Amino acid sequence: MQRRRKGNLQRLAGLLEIPADIVLDLPRITMLGNKQLLVENHKGIIEYTGALVRIKLSQGELNVAGAELTIGNFQAEQLLVEGTVTEIKYET
Amino acid sequence: MLTLRLTNYLHGTVRVKISGAIPERFINLCLARGIFLWGINKHNDDVYASLRLPDFFRIRPLARRSHNRVEAVGHAGFPFTLKRVRRRKMLVVGAVLFFVFLNLLTARIWFVDVSGHKEVAAERITGAAAAHGLRPGIAKADVDLKAVEKEMLLALPELAWVGVNLTGTRALIEVVEKTLPKAGDKSPAHIVAGKDGVITEVIAIAGQPAVKKGDTVKRGDLLIKGFAADPPPAARDQTPIITLPASYVRAAGIVKARVWYESYGEAGLAQEVLRRTGRKAVAVSLRADGHELALKRVADQPFTRFETEVVHKKLSGGRNSNFAVESIINIFHELVAERYEITVEQARDIARGKALAAVQDRIPEGAQVLTREVTTLQTAEPRFVRVKVMVETVEEIGQTMNINLQ
Repeated sequence: MQRRRKGNLQRLAGLLEIPADIVLDLPRITMLGNKQLLVENHKGIIEYTGALVRIKLSQGELNVAGAELTIGNFQAEQLLVEGTVTEIKYET
Repeated sequence: MLTLRLTNYLHGTVRVKISGAIPERFINLCLARGIFLWGINKHNDDVYASLRLPDFFRIRPLARRSHNRVEAVGHAGFPFTLKRVRRRKMLVVGAVLFFVFLNLLTARIWFVDVSGHKEVAAERITGAAAAHGLRPGIAKADVDLKAVEKEMLLALPELAWVGVNLTGTRALIEVVEKTLPKAGDKSPAHIVAGKDGVITEVIAIAGQPAVKKGDTVKRGDLLIKGFAADPPPAARDQTPIITLPASYVRAAGIVKARVWYESYGEAGLAQEVLRRTGRKAVAVSLRADGHELALKRVADQPFTRFETEVVHKKLSGGRNSNFAVESIINIFHELVAERYEITVEQARDIARGKALAAVQDRIPEGAQVLTREVTTLQTAEPRFVRVKVMVETVEEIGQTMNINLQ
């Protein structure tokens, strides 16, 4: 049921040319090389160490692995991970 | 980004250390309350983060709820600066006083300089300016520059124009002097020869010529007499005019003559040239108010042969050009003599150059050079060349000499 509703919404978004991240409440992830990772529309962090940042999303989580990771900016709308990113893993 | 940093500065920021089992929980609670965190990093199981000072007072219940210990480790920003400043009130008073004094002092004229004057003394100009209100120490608002210019023109009739400009605390008085016609010497005078020579041309404008073309004159001989010209002889059928004793006039005219100059120059075949070895000794002294203080001395005779270079260093610039302190640096360069041989032709050229240079000093500017003769003289010494230079010119030789009537 939910899946069908989502499919409809996605079709509607495509029809009206509205960005899908707004309609579907999806995170928008922007990377600047391997130096910066900006996650918009996140739901908080689950775990944070210098080598791993686990970010909670509306569905699942995003695991960012790397070295000397710091969170440069932490707000309700966006989260900026700085350092050397080596791996990004999406878990649903 | 700039506005963000500015608001952070105005609010003040606190760096906190979050220690506990799950610091992430605290961070998420902050997020839920809309507390902005940045610069989060982990160091030995402790998480450090920055937040704004107003938010810092709201995190205590969050820390307790997430079972973390939150500790402030650093702070920055305007509220903390203000706190420090409150403790040092005199610093603020000093800063305010500084600006007050700066404002008061720049509202006055402290220097009055004069430029463009030639005959009129600068003291007279500044004196006239002071008499009409423009003097060091007066407030700028109290001086009407246009009025001062006008009054100074009236006070000093030698001036054609006066302009006063203010640049900061310095008033520059620019003047242009009137060029008055020169009062010439009207006393009677003869024209006499300034040099030996043979006369080529005599034109008497005033007075009576005493020599004619082709005459040989010696230095000091009379060329144009300072007497009024004789009246023309009377015609045959007229009564002769009685000639009175001639009255004196100031003789004027052009007397040109051929003048010879002679000079000698010599040069040896063995030449010596002095060259700097590169070794040097430096003496430094400080001069202030007429006293000299040696900062670094060297021995009286540092080298057997040396030349001295003196460098004066001053704080130069604008109105403080006669600043009282200057440093004097004496650099002694060691010299070494190098000998070398030259050919006879080269020696002759050198000797000729010397002789010509010697004669050139004596020939006046307007002289017309007719011939230049160079002869090599025989000398007893074989390693020596001597040269004689003869120059013949045509030049003005007249010199005015006042007649002593007593």
